[in-house]
Amino acid sequence: MSKMIRIRESGKDIPKMAKTLCETMLSDLEDSQRPVLEAVKCSLDNSFYNPKVGYLTPGKKKVLTELNVSSVQKMARVVYMLEVLLRNLQYGNVNTKRELYYIAKGMVKSEPVLKPLDFEGQEESDSIIDFIGDMLEVYREELNCFANDRGGQTYSQHLVVTETLTDGEKAVIDLSTLGTTPFQPKNKPQALKLKAKKKLKFCLVVESEGTANTLVSNGMTKRHNCIVMGAQGVPSNGVRGWCKLIEEQLDVPIYFFGDLDAYTIQNIFRTLKAGSAASLIRNKDFSAPSVRFLGVLPEDVEKYDLHCYPVKESDPVEARSLKKARDTIENDPFFHDKKNKPLVNVLKWLIEKKVRCEQQAFFSVDPKDPLKPEKIIVEKIEKGIYL
Amino acid sequence: MSKITSSSTAEYFSKNLQQVGFSSPVKAVLTTLKEAVDNSLDACEQENILPELIILIKRKGKGASKNTDLVLIEVEDNGPGIEPELLPKVFGEYLASSKFGRGQCTRGQQGIGISAAVTWAQLTNAKGVRVISKTSRMRKAFEALIDVDIKGNKGLIREKDTIDWDKTHGVKVSFEIDGRVQLNGDGGLITYLEGTILVNPHLSMRYKLMDNDWVEVKRVTEENPEIPAATLPHPHTMKLGEFITHARLFGNISLKSFLKTGFSRVNDQAIGLLKKAGIKAKILDTSVNKLSEADFKKAFQVIQDAEIQSPSTKSVLTVGEEALAKSIHRLGEVDFFSVVARKPKICDFKPVVVEVALARFIQRGSEEDQIQVLRFANRVPLQFDKSACAITRAIETVNWKSYGLNQPKDSVPYGPYVFAISIVSPFIKFKNASKETIDSSEELVEEIRLALMQAGQKLSRHIKKEMREADLERKMLHIEKFGPILIDGLARITGAGQNRVKKAKIGLEKILGRDTKDAKSELLEAQTRLSQLKVRENKKFGGGEPETEPATEPDANGQTPLQEPAPEAGSEAIPDAVIKKKKAEKKEKKSSPGKRK
Repeated sequence: MSKMIRIRESGKDIPKMAKTLCETMLSDLEDSQRPVLEAVKCSLDNSFYNPKVGYLTPGKKKVLTELNVSSVQKMARVVYMLEVLLRNLQYGNVNTKRELYYIAKGMVKSEPVLKPLDFEGQEESDSIIDFIGDMLEVYREELNCFANDRGGQTYSQHLVVTETLTDGEKAVIDLSTLGTTPFQPKNKPQALKLKAKKKLKFCLVVESEGTANTLVSNGMTKRHNCIVMGAQGVPSNGVRGWCKLIEEQLDVPIYFFGDLDAYTIQNIFRTLKAGSAASLIRNKDFSAPSVRFLGVLPEDVEKYDLHCYPVKESDPVEARSLKKARDTIENDPFFHDKKNKPLVNVLKWLIEKKVRCEQQAFFSVDPKDPLKPEKIIVEKIEKGIYL
Repeated sequence: MSKITSSSTAEYFSKNLQQVGFSSPVKAVLTTLKEAVDNSLDACEQENILPELIILIKRKGKGASKNTDLVLIEVEDNGPGIEPELLPKVFGEYLASSKFGRGQCTRGQQGIGISAAVTWAQLTNAKGVRVISKTSRMRKAFEALIDVDIKGNKGLIREKDTIDWDKTHGVKVSFEIDGRVQLNGDGGLITYLEGTILVNPHLSMRYKLMDNDWVEVKRVTEENPEIPAATLPHPHTMKLGEFITHARLFGNISLKSFLKTGFSRVNDQAIGLLKKAGIKAKILDTSVNKLSEADFKKAFQVIQDAEIQSPSTKSVLTVGEEALAKSIHRLGEVDFFSVVARKPKICDFKPVVVEVALARFIQRGSEEDQIQVLRFANRVPLQFDKSACAITRAIETVNWKSYGLNQPKDSVPYGPYVFAISIVSPFIKFKNASKETIDSSEELVEEIRLALMQAGQKLSRHIKKEMREADLERKMLHIEKFGPILIDGLARITGAGQNRVKKAKIGLEKILGRDTKDAKSELLEAQTRLSQLKVRENKKFGGGEPETEPATEPDANGQTPLQEPAPEAGSEAIPDAVIKKKKAEKKEKKSSPGKRK
């Protein structure tokens, strides 16, 4: 098989690292010593944010797994899965997590001695794969494990994407030729090169894929030299990597347009801009620090008298979201930074008002004018009404 | 203007039988049985006779009403018997009870139930109840058919006869009614009978339900419960209307005398307090017949605000922890149980006693089902409308997870357990006339909650020991299962030879052998604590059923001697029974994985 395209130049030789790790474990056992596996602690309490770096980075905390009667199962599973991944790397095979789960089950079937390792559900094998990534400090894509990514549907009249295929051939995709059909980035956007036919004014990432499609259908990409992308909720690795690529390869400001609620700001926008605590070791290549929050903003609600839904504290789910917003202000290093104070103010406004406003509320401003949402968005970009 | 007519009590109830438990054919059978059993048990207890009941439920054919069967319900007791001249009053007249408004912890309270059952039989099958009765003074038994004269609210006696009966005293009632028989489930006859058996340890019973075989249940105590004397109501438990009606019953006596004779805890000292609080001496000396409504209202308001001593708790009876502990074994093979009888307490100015028995049975329920809740009010099972009941509310507010039970948030927990909760009080406040649900006041819910928490703590000792056993078993299995696989995997990745593999396996056994020692000492500690609890319970219950499980002592090396010798270093055996049970549980629990991308 042809050589895979590298995701990054980390200089890490994964097979060698894995072999050294296993050698140490075996030696420890021979000496009746307990082997210890060490992985980066991927959690908020080990996350740091520096606006100059632009994304969440890991601290010094580690998760240590020492061999004992409770952890022997996990360790045996780690070594077992590592073997599968090393074989994939050796032969250039790629798999999704779901496929790896079935590969592991298939091996157990063919070798009954491995029966105790059998995974009862995919979440068990997923957590082992994630642990291996955190332990070796490599991306899962570097272990040839790719996600079945969703979202990232992209529209533009001026963007040309060149994909380098595994056999070295190049495929050129001119997005202007696709009509209202979007281009969807592969789960490995690092294999793509981007070029703008004309100077692009902005890239708009819309939380709802449906709304992104409506804006394009109404001619937004024809009227403006821009890129419109649907995020489809919490951005997947593919969307995050794709935004990073746009940021790096095209000199274009990126704006995020989504609901005005705590979930969107904390989970969707923060992940797009600065990554997440769960993916600390990969945020560098999977976040776009220059992305700005275009709205919906509290001032839009007031200016256009947008319809809001009350957030009921009597509803356990909604009460939890309010509590999470308060916790975020207190504990999330991204929101501690003074540059992000305007976002904190929005969270505080949401906590105080106990309301939420959806992005589609822009369609209520002038129901007879289908272009009104686009006009508002463009006006906000031009006048700098974003955070 | 249309003519205004008045109806008799019997007429009212004959048109509103759904209010007293006859709202469906299924409930009609259960309520009829319940009323007959309640009367038998109350009669036996009042004469200090240890009750022996014989119950027969049989389908006799098709019922006259649509979708019903003609069901025979027979209940025979060894009670004192009823004098023939009293039979029409007992069975055929509403509100003709000796228990009405007496403030005593009897099952029946108002004298409605059995007359309603006779009315139902009469309405659906045109025949009342056939009664055989014999008192110890009678040589022959008296037999008759009793109907309710609905217009006149009195009993009518028909088909009188005297017969030979081999009993020295007792009553046998036979109802033939339209109904449907439900045996299992919350509203089932078996659930009712089991509940009755549980809270009446002094009861012996033989019963045959439909085509099932005869079942015999023997009493576990030879002592009749001591029925406390009737008590007067406390003035704080009444509403104004009740207060005035209550006063009218006392005839031409002064308000002061009425308060002192009509209520508990009102003595000269309390009257002094009322005077100070604003009731004029003149009013207190006025006859209640001459007091205006305004006077009553004023006096009533002052009384409600006055600090009158709380009522006595002597008027409540308890089943008792010991009797409950013995009785619970009559419901099936008990895995383990815990019982708690709280001391009588005042809730909403009424004396109340809460008793709780929590048990896990060997062949009852499963981890996937909600626990079975048996609710009792004055030792009568409550089988309908459980969600609105104070008992259910209290169960839901306890955090059962902390005692090792599986519980969805604010809900009844899951598992193969039976929770029996008994509330006894001379003044239980029900939500409806059919007495199916106890009204949930905050004070009562809190008292039930405390009892449940105490019982839960005891239960958790058993569960924790099981968890430790499971933990030890898991650890043992892990060593045997995963150790060799781990080393073989490492050897394949590193390309290590057999010598290194062998050496690593010896090293692994050494490491993990140390860990099992710790797990065993944790198990030993849990076992010891449980044994101590069981010894205490045995002492308390006079060496009854609970099996003792002596804790095994560690040997000189700190190892716990287990039932079988260790097969190899670092992996001592654990009892087979535990492994088999756990394996079976695991097998059951295994389910297919959910699909995810």
